[in-house]
Amino acid sequence: MSVTTSPIRVALVGCGQIADAHLSQIRRIRFADPVAVCDVHPDLAYQAAVRFEVPAQFTSIDEMVETTRPDVVHLTTPAHTHAALTKKLLGLGCHVYVEKPFTLDAQESLDVLATAASVDKTVCVGHDQLFDPTWLTAKKWIQRGLIGDVRHLESVLGYPIDGKFGSLVASDSNHWVRKLPGGLFQNTISHPLYRITDLLNDSQPDITAHWRTRDDFDFPTELSVQMQGTKQTGSLTFSTDLPHQRITRVYGTDGTLDLDFDAQTLRLSRRTKLPGAFAKLEAPFQQFRNSCWNLRHNMWRFLKADIHYFAGMKTLFEEYYAHVQGRGPIPIEPDEIHRVALLMDRIFEHCRSRDDASENPMEDKSPQTSEAVSCL
Amino acid sequence: MSLRALVTGATGFLGQRLVRSLLEKGAHVRCLVRQSSNVATLTDLQSQNPTGQLEIVTGDLGDSKSLVASLEGIDVVYHLAAALSGSTASMFLGSVIPMRTLAEAAAQANVQRFVLVSSLGVYGAAEMRSGTVLDESAPVDPHPEQRDPYSFSKIRQEQVAREIAAERGMSLVVVRPGVIYGPGRPLLTSRVGLSIGPLLIRMGGRQPLPYTYVENCADAIMRAGMVPDIDGETVNVVDDGLPTGKTVVRFLKSHGQRIRSLWVPAPCIRPLAALAGWYANWSEGQIPAVLTPYKAMSMWNRLRYSNDKAKRLLGWQPRVSIEEGFRRTIRERRE
Repeated sequence: MSVTTSPIRVALVGCGQIADAHLSQIRRIRFADPVAVCDVHPDLAYQAAVRFEVPAQFTSIDEMVETTRPDVVHLTTPAHTHAALTKKLLGLGCHVYVEKPFTLDAQESLDVLATAASVDKTVCVGHDQLFDPTWLTAKKWIQRGLIGDVRHLESVLGYPIDGKFGSLVASDSNHWVRKLPGGLFQNTISHPLYRITDLLNDSQPDITAHWRTRDDFDFPTELSVQMQGTKQTGSLTFSTDLPHQRITRVYGTDGTLDLDFDAQTLRLSRRTKLPGAFAKLEAPFQQFRNSCWNLRHNMWRFLKADIHYFAGMKTLFEEYYAHVQGRGPIPIEPDEIHRVALLMDRIFEHCRSRDDASENPMEDKSPQTSEAVSCL
Repeated sequence: MSLRALVTGATGFLGQRLVRSLLEKGAHVRCLVRQSSNVATLTDLQSQNPTGQLEIVTGDLGDSKSLVASLEGIDVVYHLAAALSGSTASMFLGSVIPMRTLAEAAAQANVQRFVLVSSLGVYGAAEMRSGTVLDESAPVDPHPEQRDPYSFSKIRQEQVAREIAAERGMSLVVVRPGVIYGPGRPLLTSRVGLSIGPLLIRMGGRQPLPYTYVENCADAIMRAGMVPDIDGETVNVVDDGLPTGKTVVRFLKSHGQRIRSLWVPAPCIRPLAALAGWYANWSEGQIPAVLTPYKAMSMWNRLRYSNDKAKRLLGWQPRVSIEEGFRRTIRERRE
């Protein structure tokens, strides 16, 4: 791939809520030039173009690509359209950044990745929290050996159903999210899941999973997943019954790291060195020092105007654009994209298998896991 | 009376009052509601007003096929349904796109009139001189994208409705109510100031607030669908004797409400907003641009408001005074 230094031409398809996050972060990137937005609803394309000062708006992808010739297209449409639209855009000669979840299932992800390879274009998926400043700092600390070898990972997503998006899904039985093979979870668990897989050595650990429906709802709202690898374990909890929170805890042989993505804090707990009762003073002192570090760190970031909810998204965009321009490696490998898609298939398959046929709240759409694995 | 009306948003704060007004006039009122809507209040209205006829149909404003049946035999469409909060995209999804579908279906069904309930917020108040009378001749905001999602979606909604009406020869009347208040809605609104947690940042205090009591407003909207020969007209709806922020706060305090507030004098609003806007821009949105000079002047510019056209064209009078409206609102809250 040749190296390019001119601004990268960026377009976006699908001007719903998450498009705002994309467009606001694209605008922050000096070498990105947003050239067009597209949506089947002209009014949605209009509002995005006007608010983010994008010069062109379209209701047809073909027309958009032909007119504006973008290098990269961001795809922020509903999940069930991702595979077909990504392949279309690849065929039109664009690199594609796909909002999570990448596809409906692993078979589709293989298909899309194969298409990208065949036309010599790339795809990237919106696993943006892996590029969040807190996660990047945590990984540096882990690499420095502060918690020893990683043995267990816990990821929690609190997703109040009365939130902006959740309430739309809950109130509309025809909402597209309700029709996904993994329902609400398919649209949301990518984030807590890849925060586990990023540090999990096993490609496909053993999985046990269970979903549950809260009273007053007619679709599964709670999910619990356990993973068992060769030397590591993981657990994922998704709950609409918890306040909003994005928390990952990494347990190592020498300590534990607690990441709160919303508070942008990192709590490090290490094994105490002092004996007996002295250890009971050492532990809170460690926590006090840690709190001071978080306060100082966040104050400094605040003063630098460096606290942004979608900070990871901006970094991921920058790295992907740099790769497209031949200035760096691809930020998320195709194998990793497919790995997460396959894990999601297996999670939903396991949940379905635990449901009695009469109580199955989801339409059965079992992915062909074995076939997908053999294609890897 | 044999008017057959379709009302969207009928289960809402304003919609219920409009349905009641129409039933009192003996109209046949078809309410288009979502499957998940609670229609108990509507059915109560029918039993209270036996002169009119209520019909409830479930449907989706985004589904043009189901709208065909809903519009069958309808003379007037009163379109009140709208998203009231959320991101700009969700406001467009909840307001503009359904309105486009409904207006096209209504034009196809040859309804006699389409009444679009918009908002007084569509005017370009930021660029008007202090003390100016805001009436229907004032220009619509030229930069709605710099405003709040609600005003932006309402401006776009009007544009789309006018385009469809012009293309399809449909009779359109746009009603632009001010801030609608009444039992079930607070008297303290963003026109008085910004609420930050338990604290109210009072902005100025002497500028008139374009309030309208919910029943007065429903009455004006009903008339907009009935009065002949007003096709293509736009009508503002505000009450007489408008209050100021100061009088609202004083009234609430005198009725026992505890308000913790911080006062920003009128001359300080613009500099404060300029500072907030500069910081939001400099920090690339670390603290979002909730306050900019444009937004501040759109909201708190000291204007006067006219309801002359509504009175003249619709034969409307606000039957409930501001004082009585305030009393009813407070009484309901206590009960």
